[in-house]
Parts: sequence; structure tokens; C-alpha cells
Amino acid sequence: MDELEAIKVTFFQECEELLADLEGGLLAMQEGSGDLETVNAVFRAVHSIKGGAGAFGLEPLVRFAHVFETLLDAVRSGAVPSTIELAAVLLRASDILADHVSAARGLGDVDMAASAAMATELEHWTDPNASPAPAPVAEATAAETPVEAAPAAAAPADDDAMEEDDLGFVFVPQTITVEAQAADAELAPDNVWTVSIRPKSDLYRKANETALLLRELSRLGPIKATLDDRHLPELDELDPEAAYVTWNVRVETDEDETAIREVFEFVDGDCDLDIIRGEASVEQLAALVGATEPSAAEVQAPSTPELLVAEEPAPAPIEVQPAAEAAPPPPAPVVQAPKAAAPVAPAAPAAAPAKAAQVEVPGPGQSVIRVDPERIDRLIDLVGELVINQAMLAQRVGEYGIAPSSNLAMGLDELEQLTREIQDSVMAIRAQPVKSVFQRMPRLVREVANMTGKQARLVMDGENTEVDKTVIERLAEPITHMLRNAIDHGLESPDERKAAGKNPEGMVRLAALHRSGRIVIEVSDDGKGINRERVFSIAVKKGLIAPDLQLTDEEIDNLIFLPGFSTADKISDVSGRGVGMDVVKRSVQALGGRISITSRPGQGSTFTLSLPLTLAVLDGMVVDVAGETLVVPLAAIVESLRPKPEEIRPLGPVGSVLAVRDSFVPLIDVGLALGYRDQSPPPTDGVVLLVEGEDGSRAALVADAIHGQRQVVIKSLEQNYQQVEGVAAATILGDGRVALILDVDATIGMRRREGSTPRPPEPTLIAAE
Amino acid sequence: MTQTVLTVDDSRTMRDMLRMALAGAGFNVVEAVDGEHGLEVLSAHRPDVIITDINMPKLDGFGFIEAVRVDDDYRAIPILVLTTESDPAKKQRAREAGATGWIVKPFNPEKLVDAIRRVAA
Repeated sequence: MDELEAIKVTFFQECEELLADLEGGLLAMQEGSGDLETVNAVFRAVHSIKGGAGAFGLEPLVRFAHVFETLLDAVRSGAVPSTIELAAVLLRASDILADHVSAARGLGDVDMAASAAMATELEHWTDPNASPAPAPVAEATAAETPVEAAPAAAAPADDDAMEEDDLGFVFVPQTITVEAQAADAELAPDNVWTVSIRPKSDLYRKANETALLLRELSRLGPIKATLDDRHLPELDELDPEAAYVTWNVRVETDEDETAIREVFEFVDGDCDLDIIRGEASVEQLAALVGATEPSAAEVQAPSTPELLVAEEPAPAPIEVQPAAEAAPPPPAPVVQAPKAAAPVAPAAPAAAPAKAAQVEVPGPGQSVIRVDPERIDRLIDLVGELVINQAMLAQRVGEYGIAPSSNLAMGLDELEQLTREIQDSVMAIRAQPVKSVFQRMPRLVREVANMTGKQARLVMDGENTEVDKTVIERLAEPITHMLRNAIDHGLESPDERKAAGKNPEGMVRLAALHRSGRIVIEVSDDGKGINRERVFSIAVKKGLIAPDLQLTDEEIDNLIFLPGFSTADKISDVSGRGVGMDVVKRSVQALGGRISITSRPGQGSTFTLSLPLTLAVLDGMVVDVAGETLVVPLAAIVESLRPKPEEIRPLGPVGSVLAVRDSFVPLIDVGLALGYRDQSPPPTDGVVLLVEGEDGSRAALVADAIHGQRQVVIKSLEQNYQQVEGVAAATILGDGRVALILDVDATIGMRRREGSTPRPPEPTLIAAE
Repeated sequence: MTQTVLTVDDSRTMRDMLRMALAGAGFNVVEAVDGEHGLEVLSAHRPDVIITDINMPKLDGFGFIEAVRVDDDYRAIPILVLTTESDPAKKQRAREAGATGWIVKPFNPEKLVDAIRRVAA
């Protein structure tokens, strides 16, 4: 990748962080908990975004950030008071800034009208008296342009000088004698300038140096510098920090006065500077410089020609020495230093992109190494293969009937443990806090609340919960849907809430936590809860369930996940985007996840989404079904048992239930459900796995035999073949065979929906690689 | 002799940009993320030139420059202030603190190297 492109990637990463900081700071300000440092941090965030954007020429982003920054600067300085109302405006502005960043990144567009309106609003806050400018954005640019243009002008118009960068005092070859100078004076060519420089001590205090000024001047053309040390005191009176000398420089250049002045840009005000066209006599210069105490005698005193410094390498005039010591950065070495430095100095800037420059710098990032994610992915794949290989080895060894207490078997156990540890450690490298997803949500909540006329406050918990990167990437969509749903359908309007005796502002909580090897995301609201009657009647009306079906409250709640179900009477802007909860549920299931809802009328609802911590491996139970080997995710299994005949009761024409303790659960023959066979063998011949779906519904899955628990590496069926109902993914077993991983929820669902005869799905599953 | 430049900026992007431009011109680059960190890196690396941002957490550019200038060991090191500030008052304040020169962001590599050449022996 091009280096600049790589930095651009960094920039956008940094933007994400800065936008999060910005939002966090603004939220703190809105809650009234922000102090001055918060405001400063908020300012810096926008400032840094603008700075980087400027470097990449991202104009619209720069312009908007500039207006934003200007207001924040006013807030920072106290010119604009920080109020809750202002924070709300700033939050909306931060959303638009985020849009600009996305647009600059090539992801999405900016609503330019909204952006311009916001820019105007920000300007109005900055200066309420400013008339609403017709083109506020353009104005902002105009305001900025001169400043940024300035250095462009400042850059010496020396295209070739850059090339043959002589670094200064290479006016060696130009050996003009004093006599020659006199001759020049007579001709007085109009490209000759006389520059008189009288540094003040401030110039040296700021680490500027006269020698460098002379060197810069010499870049414009041949120079001849003369030192006027008349004001140099005796050594015992000399203040080493003070400045006493004056330099008179004859410059021969085709550049104009502006170019000469630019040499002195950095020392403006720190030295007296006179620039005269043509030659200036010693008297003229004296008059110019020594205006305060000019004395004819003094003017004569230092014989100027002797001080012509640049011409001869040898005569380092002793007179200069005191002056040299006078100022902290000594001017005398100046005279010679450039000569000595000449052969060396050019090497520095001219040197090719020296590798030396790549020397690693001990910096803040020292404790962090940046690694190409592909390398980690590759490592994880390899570890996955290692897990398979280790399993294969264990299986082979088992086949030889080696005693578990033997050295070989014990070594294998250790290997297994190590493999697991390696796997965990490798997965931890890729683990990231869910923060990156969570931090996008406050904005979503604001927008959805605005759009639906609700008042909503988002509370987030467990943002630092870590989960594998592969999972993080897939979290945003379901969380977005759940939040939208919570605000749009869950929360009541402020009036309704007031009528119900609630705070008009609704609360939506987004939380992440680890629970038994999975990550659980909860989205809850304190709204009205699910209207079960209505949900039921809609489901009946849409033909999703039979009208006489007896359902528990929980089952009714979960009807909203049925395909084709939508509770909104009218399709709202927010939830009615053609994506129902059924789609969410399916996408979650495809990840090996589960989603469910619980609701309490009048008190709110809670969506619970649980996903594996990684999409790379799975702990599963290996079972035999109709001659096929299947893997049942361990997380879904409650217990396994051998059913007794008296525990099995027929139900309906073909179905049957199993009595487990004091309840009955439906018996599902996996072979039948997946279409491996048409006839179920008696359940008593097999093994029953009591499983629990995400919604809490239980079922008894019948398999022929159990082979034990194993960690398997998940291979996507969708990527390698296609999605198959009842199958979550595939894996490769120790003996190299492909085994399918059962989708427990789907299997229970198939049975529930179809009641009696499961339709055999794809019979050619084994084609999956 | 390779010259060492210390860049002090809280923005990673900006540090990377500076590094690219400076390394490309043959400078050795050391970095710091804020003024406080800058002072630490300063003593460890004794740079020939310092380039610093103004708006930074912990110790801002003004404070950093002042701290460098009161230290007899470092006060002769040229300091360039790097900033997008269009505010002349800020530039003035940086100069009063002891800044040698300045670079207005966004910069191009030539201008940057140019500015360093103007202040570095």
C-alpha cells in the first residue's frame, strides 16, 4: 500500500476514535458533567479531524469542521456559554461531522442541505449578531484561504534552488573583491539590494540565528555580508544574552523585495530590518541603523572591508568574535560554519529516503503493535487446523487401544490442553471490545427518537466486553434493529408516558456481558411492553398461527420473530424498512446465535441476543444419526439421557412427547427432521439430547449414538455451499470427514411450525466440502 | 550527519504525515504525543529540531515550548510550531513562548523541509 494511503487509513481510524471522544465529551457536557478539560478535548477532536482532513484535501469535511471548530473555540474561551441546549446542537453537528467523515471515506453521502443548515446554525451560535450568511460554508472557506495561502507564497519561488540546494554559503566561488564591489556600485545594477539586519536578543532567545538568515539570503543570489560591531561593548561590559551587532548584506538577486522579506518571516519583530534597493554606502547604512547614536568617528572606526566575511575562508576576523559570544547562537562561527558544513549539510535533506529514518521510535504506541489483520486471520486458521489435527491424532491413538495412563496418552492430553491454550490466546489477539459497535448507537437513538417524536435516553453497559472480531462485525445490524424496534415500538410518546405516570423521557438500555462462553447483548426499554392481544390477533390475521392455538405469554411475545410479522399499524419510517424481526432472527441464527424477547406489559421489553464468542470454533457433542455424523452445539444441550419406554407418550398421528421430570417435551428424531430417513426408529433405541432453544423452548432430540464432546472448527456452509435449514455450519472431524453442525433452534422450529410431518430439506448435504 | 527531528502532536495521522515527509527527506524522526511526553523524548534523543502542535492534552504547545526554552540544555534548539490556527494571536503567543518559526497545516513535504532548513544549522 502506498504510504500516503496507509496514513489515510490511519486517519480514518483516528477519526473514528476522535468522533467517539467528541460524542462522549458532548454527552458529558449535555449532562452538565463536562469541565473545561472536556470542552478542550472536544475542541481538540474536531481540530484534529480538520487538520488531518486538510492534509488529504478533503474539502467539504475541512469546511464543516472549521465552522464547528470555530464555535467550539468560542465555547472554550468562554465567549459562548456552554449550555445543555448548546450541547444538543453540538451533538447534532457531531453527527453531521461523522457523515462528512464517512463520505470522505467513500461510505455514504452527506445531506448537504442539512450540513449547510447546521453550519449556519453553528455560525449563529458563534456570533448571534452575524446576519445569516447566504453561503456560510463558502464564507468559512474564504476566511481560511488567505491563511493557508500565505505559506504558499512564503515558499521561496525557487524551483531549481530546491534542486541544487547548496545550503547556504556556497557563495564561495563568487570571489568579489572590495574593489570589484566598488565597481559594481558604480554600475548599480537594479538587481542589487542592501539588507541591514540588526537582531534583537529576542531573536536568539527563540533559537533563530543570523547565520541562517544569511544563508537563506544567499539562496536568493550572491551575497556579501558586512558586520558592523560599533556597538559591541568591551568584554567586561558585555551581556552574553544581548545583541549588539548589525549585519549589512549586499544581495544580488532577481527576486523582488517580497522574497527578501520572506527570509525574515520568522524573525519579524525580533530584528530591525531595512531593505534598500541598490547599493548603500556605509554612511547610509549607519544612518539607517545607528539612528540613535550615529557618530562620524564611529562610522569610520571599523574598517568595513576587513569584515567582509563571506569572501575569504581564512580571515575569520577577530573583531567578530566578541559578537559571536554576545549572542547565544554565536554569529562568528556562523561565518565559517557554513563553509565547513557545506559538504555535509546538503547530504541531509538530499539523502534518499534513508532507511535510517525508519528507526523505531519509542513512542506512546510502544505497548501496542499494529499487525495486519490478515496475518492474525491466517494464524487463527492455522490454529484451527492444529485443533483438527490434534483431534485426529487423539482419535487414531484411541483406535489403537492405548491405555489412558500410558505416557503417550498423557502426552496427548497435554498436547490437547496446550492446543486449547494456544487457541484461546490466539483468539484473544483478535478479540475487541464491543465499544466500537456501541459507540455508533447514541446517534442512532437520537435520530430514531427525533424521527418518531419520542424522547429517549440511551444507557450503555459493558462496552468493554470483548468478543472476537468476526462477531463484532456482525453485531451492528441486529443491535441497530433491536434499538430501533425498542424506540419505535417499545417506547410510548412523551404524552402517553406522562399519562401513565412515567418520565416523559424513555430509557433504552444496551448492555453486553459474557455468559457461559457466549456474548449476550441485551436491549431493553421501559416502554409499554408487547401488546399480546394485538400480536396474537395479527399473527392469526396473517395466517401465521391457528386462531385456536393456546400459547404462553412468552410464546406470544416471540411471535414477532415469525416471518411476515410486523406489529406497526402503519409502516413507520424507522422500523418499516422492509426488515422485520424475522430477518434479524435469521441473521443471528446464521451466526450460531439466538435471540428472544421477554416483555412485561406497561414496564417494557427486553431483547436478548446471544452469540458465540467466536465464529471460528465451537464446543459440540458429536452424535450419529442414520449413519451420518452430526455435531450438536454444546451450548444448547441441557442434558443427555436414555429414554425409558414409559416416558414416551404419543401425541397426534406421528408425534410423541417425552416426560422429563414433571414436564413433557416434544420428541424430534433428528434423522427424520433432516430428511436422512423416512421412518423413526423407536426412541428407546437411541439417545436423547434434551436441548433448549434461545426462546427457552425445550425439545428432546433423538440421535442413534453419542461420540462425546469435541471442539470443532466451524466451516461456513453458506460460503462453501449454501444455507440449509436445520444446519448451522459444517466442520471437519479428526478422521477427515465432513460433519454438519445442527442448528438446534431451527430444528425445534421446524417441528413446531410443521406440526406433524417435517418436509425433508436438501437431501444432498454431504456435497458440502 | 543525519539530523534528528522531534515531532510532538496528539494526532497519529499528523505524526505519520510528518514522519513520512521527514523520513523521505532523510531526517531521523522521533515522536511524542503531547507536551509532557515531548519533554521526556527530548532528553532521551536530543533532537536538532522540534516540530510541535499547539492543541494537545496534558501539556499544550505553548507550555511545551516554554519548558524547552527555560532549560539551558535545550533552549537553543529551534522549534517550529505546526498548527492549523488561522488565528494570528495564537501564532504570536507561540512566538512569545519561544517558537522559532511555524508551519501552517496542511503542509506539503517541500514546505516542511524548507522551514526546517531555515531554522536548522
